[in-house]
Amino acid sequence: MLNQLTSMIFTTSFGYSVIRITAPILFAALASVVAEKAGVVNIGLEGIMMFSSLFGVLFAYWTNSWLVGVIGALVIGAIFGLIIGVFALKLKTNIVLAGTAINIAGSGGTIFLLYMFTGLRGNTANLTTPQMLIPRINIPLIKSIPVIGPIFSGHSVLTYIAFILVAVVWVLLYKTPLGLRIRAVGENPNAADSVGVSVLKTQYIAIMLSGALAGLGGAFMSMYYSQSWNTGITAGRGFIAMAAQAMGQCEPVGTMLSSLLFGFASALGNKMEGLPGFSSYLVASIPYIVTVIGLAIYAVTQLKKARKRGQ
Amino acid sequence: MNKNNLKGFEFFRGLVAILIAIAVAFIFIFICADDPAQALSCLLIKPIISNGALNVKSILTILGRTTPTIFTGLAVCVMFSADQFNLGGEGVTMLGGFIAVLLGIYLPMAAGVHAAVAIIISAIAGGAVMLIPALVKVKLKSSEMVTSLMLNYIILYVVLHFLNNTFADRTKGSTQTYEFLETAKVGTVVQGTELTYGFFIALIATVIIAIFMYRTRWGYAIRMIGINGQFAQYSGLKVGTIIIASQIIGGVLSGMGGAIECLGRYTTFRWLELPGYGWTGVTVAILAKNNPIFVPLAALFIAYLNRGCELMAIYAGVPAEMLDIIQAIIFLFFAAEQFLSKTRQKLVVKEAKQEISAKADVKGENA
Amino acid sequence: MPDNEYVVQMKGITKVYPNGIAANQGVDFNVKKGEIHALMGENGAGKSTLMKMLFGLEQPTDGEIFINGEKVNLTSPTVAISKGIGMVHQHFMLVPNLTVAENIVLGMEPKSKGFIDFKKAKQITEEYGKKYNLYVDPDAKVRDIPVGMKQKVEILKALVRGAQILILDEPTAVLTTQETDELFKELIHLKNQGHTMIFISHKLDEIKQITDRLTIMRAGKSMGVHETAGISKEEISRLMVGRDVVLTVQKEKAQPTDTVLKVRNLEYTNEWNKKMLDNISFDVRKGEILGIAGVEGNGQRELVDMLFNLNVPDSGTAEVNGKSIIGRPQREIRDMGVSLIPEDRMTYGIAGSATIEENLMSDRIANKKYNKGALFNTQAMHDDSDQLIKDYKVLCKTRNQQVGMLSGGNIQKVVVAREFSCNPGFIIADQPTRGIDVGATEFIRKKLVELSREGAAVLLVSADLNEVMELSDSLIVMVNGKIAAYFEDTSMLNDTIMGEYMLGIKQQSDEEVRRVIHE
Repeated sequence: MLNQLTSMIFTTSFGYSVIRITAPILFAALASVVAEKAGVVNIGLEGIMMFSSLFGVLFAYWTNSWLVGVIGALVIGAIFGLIIGVFALKLKTNIVLAGTAINIAGSGGTIFLLYMFTGLRGNTANLTTPQMLIPRINIPLIKSIPVIGPIFSGHSVLTYIAFILVAVVWVLLYKTPLGLRIRAVGENPNAADSVGVSVLKTQYIAIMLSGALAGLGGAFMSMYYSQSWNTGITAGRGFIAMAAQAMGQCEPVGTMLSSLLFGFASALGNKMEGLPGFSSYLVASIPYIVTVIGLAIYAVTQLKKARKRGQ
Repeated sequence: MNKNNLKGFEFFRGLVAILIAIAVAFIFIFICADDPAQALSCLLIKPIISNGALNVKSILTILGRTTPTIFTGLAVCVMFSADQFNLGGEGVTMLGGFIAVLLGIYLPMAAGVHAAVAIIISAIAGGAVMLIPALVKVKLKSSEMVTSLMLNYIILYVVLHFLNNTFADRTKGSTQTYEFLETAKVGTVVQGTELTYGFFIALIATVIIAIFMYRTRWGYAIRMIGINGQFAQYSGLKVGTIIIASQIIGGVLSGMGGAIECLGRYTTFRWLELPGYGWTGVTVAILAKNNPIFVPLAALFIAYLNRGCELMAIYAGVPAEMLDIIQAIIFLFFAAEQFLSKTRQKLVVKEAKQEISAKADVKGENA
Repeated sequence: MPDNEYVVQMKGITKVYPNGIAANQGVDFNVKKGEIHALMGENGAGKSTLMKMLFGLEQPTDGEIFINGEKVNLTSPTVAISKGIGMVHQHFMLVPNLTVAENIVLGMEPKSKGFIDFKKAKQITEEYGKKYNLYVDPDAKVRDIPVGMKQKVEILKALVRGAQILILDEPTAVLTTQETDELFKELIHLKNQGHTMIFISHKLDEIKQITDRLTIMRAGKSMGVHETAGISKEEISRLMVGRDVVLTVQKEKAQPTDTVLKVRNLEYTNEWNKKMLDNISFDVRKGEILGIAGVEGNGQRELVDMLFNLNVPDSGTAEVNGKSIIGRPQREIRDMGVSLIPEDRMTYGIAGSATIEENLMSDRIANKKYNKGALFNTQAMHDDSDQLIKDYKVLCKTRNQQVGMLSGGNIQKVVVAREFSCNPGFIIADQPTRGIDVGATEFIRKKLVELSREGAAVLLVSADLNEVMELSDSLIVMVNGKIAAYFEDTSMLNDTIMGEYMLGIKQQSDEEVRRVIHE
């Protein structure tokens, strides 16, 4: 039994699928990091991904270009980020509620919009053409290395972008003026304000960036992962991403590692499906259980630190 | 500031929010319906009137459909009142339904008692599960929101596991349990409608929760903690205990809602994904401004729209999911504190001026 | 015409806040180039308001401001900064998780190719640090550095932005003695480089040590400008501490009996390593009002926090009628008959969007009287609320009004009504009349005396000298977390004596202080 399991994990195809499954979560988790750093909770990631996954396909269909689709998804994501921003920052809707509203709109509203624009119901499988799908690329040198090659080569462009974005987000947050302002605004808005950094403007930028990142995650789902858009396509990845961010302590690299943990558990679940004695459902629940435990452990360490400081 | 005028203003604001949502709905309908007039009549009129007469069956079905969202709406009311952003209603509703159906199948009992026992045990299970985010919040100061969101998925997969691997009726085409015993059924009031006796239980629950929140010391404590936790602490209220209690109550109500829904509307357990009532419950609570007594009204409003959208889908070909967009728009504007704030400010200033001049008059007379 | 001798000239400044309080009335304030100028005054004398206007945080209702002889309109801190004014806030405006260099360049980041030029940022920090003798570690995270260094970062932040005039708001309040010495060396160095400083403080020794001239404010007005060298501590104290109107509250002589509150050896060092409570011991007896006077920030708040478990001391005991109250839940403390009028009434005293009735009932909600089984006895609640509203003259339409909509004085009456009507054996009144109108003030003071004469023990903490001297039967002065003096009979006291003790010019011997323990 255990042998079966280990032989399953130690295959290149398993490694490949971990990366594939991690990518969309990673996009959304990075989105969560950017927003959280600026002191805004983006709980609307799930809804944003629903909308952008749909519009990614639609833009790609209308132009017959996957690139336009991806850019469209990114823009739509940013727009929904802006909507959350306007309601939360200007109209003073509680930001958790604003995000929740976007999630509600995204769950069914996308089905409606699909019908409105195309007359289709529930999925876009009929629209898909090869030009609409994000292409895979083989990386010249790495491709031919045994073990490494099959795991790391042959992913979609966007998969690589997801992992590159970890570095990009890190650089943005820690090496650019905007990042410095985002972190300052999130931690002590008064301090930022006192040196003329606009808190509101910075938060708007952050929530829109967050939306754009989630938008890429949406595009990944519909234009690569599932090859078409369907109802419930994001399946809670927006929420998992929030947990991944929390468990990664809101740092890009830590968030990537916890996203990979989810990817690993999900890939494992997929592999075990149909194996006697294993319940794919229970395996599917592992990432969530791990998160709850991980968050609890993190909270305990924080409490201990706080207590030490108190003495 | 006159409280009545402010309340009047709140009402006005809600109305504007609804009108905006309906205007958006109109635009959508004009874009995508072949016969917009027909679609509009489906959305707004058909749910209650057909062929020139009141459609009683449809009205009763709308009432019946409020049942689960009244429960989740009440649950959210109680938890949000204590400032606890617990979003676990989704999962707990599912768990409640599943446990109730299992008890309905495997624990034979006398009619009437059977359903009651099944509902009560489901409710207790719901409360017990909500202990997790509550304890994590109070003992570890960790966000109840993320924990409860994760809880939804844990429950989903655990239920699916047992449904698929232990309790599935393999003779059926789709994944579902065996039929539960007739004794566990929550009866239908009028055959051919979706109105079950569960609706009345929901109304009773509303009254109890309203009384609990406004007429008991525990409800009082919940509200004060939500308004100002430090004040509650200083006043000598047991803040930690009350925070935990509020989430247990939320769990009990959600679990109960799931149980009643499954034992009332179905004959087996067949939810293969999260049922969505938890999220609708959030909308309902927002529309009710966290006041339990308005929850049935808010649930009715959503159920009415739900029925309208459904009819629109059948007769005018507009997908029923338009409901989610309308719902989200109303939700957003309802929850926006600063929406129409300028109008509100004018109202406040005007009142203040009136009050001052009234006082001046009195002084003038005295002099 | 502005005089060129001065870098800062504020002429005839009046500031009336929207709530009608005139914080400054025709204040003239002039600062010479290159001097360290002390701005002194009791809490609420209007120093902060004046400085807020100089830093563009508030705009004057009337009056003119000249910087270097040029008339300016300081509409925001950004404008003030551009005129060469910098402010070092008492509560640091720093981001803990950013490094020192990052904090310093925030909002004016040096760039190369779109990225922050960290080398440059570090260089700026070190350059300015060297120039002004303000040595900081540019790479350290602000959360990890000691308070003294945090303050240096704040000063550097202002200097890097081109500040020639520095406003230092009670800079030594958070510092240890060594850190204070170091700060003074740095300030002298800054002065030698031609910078001008406005130094807000209550501490006479420090003022004497470092400033050239001083302006004293009292009750929103300037009490004149003096050469520091030419004025004695006693004179400063007399100008600063004093009462404009002497109110007299009718009260019989106290007949104190049994000890109710017994505090022994309380010690507390705060998270910035400053000792806020230093071996505090005292008693409060039944039937007396014991006042705690002192300039704010000398440990009074911490003491009150300990007595109501809003914080926990490092060591020491506090007992009410022989039972410990340290670390006990508030419910238990209240059940011992303790009640508290909190200093911060909006944070602790009320739930703003709840009704007046709900606020009046918060401490007694579980009383049998107000419950019939599981349900409220609403009639009893309504009756008692209405009675309290009447007794305490809360100006409102109904008990169902939101308490947050009331005026400050009426809000405080609601708090007082609750805290006085629970049949308290021991009342802590922390700044009970701060910021409220005269009518409400008088009313609350009378009630306090009344309750003490009926047998309650009262601990009155107040920065209002008038109040603490008039109401107290006996009195403690707190300075630097210690009891500096105890006066058994307040009728012998005058403003001059009080000022000298409050400002640390005089101090009683340990034996004299120990008389506050009645064993």
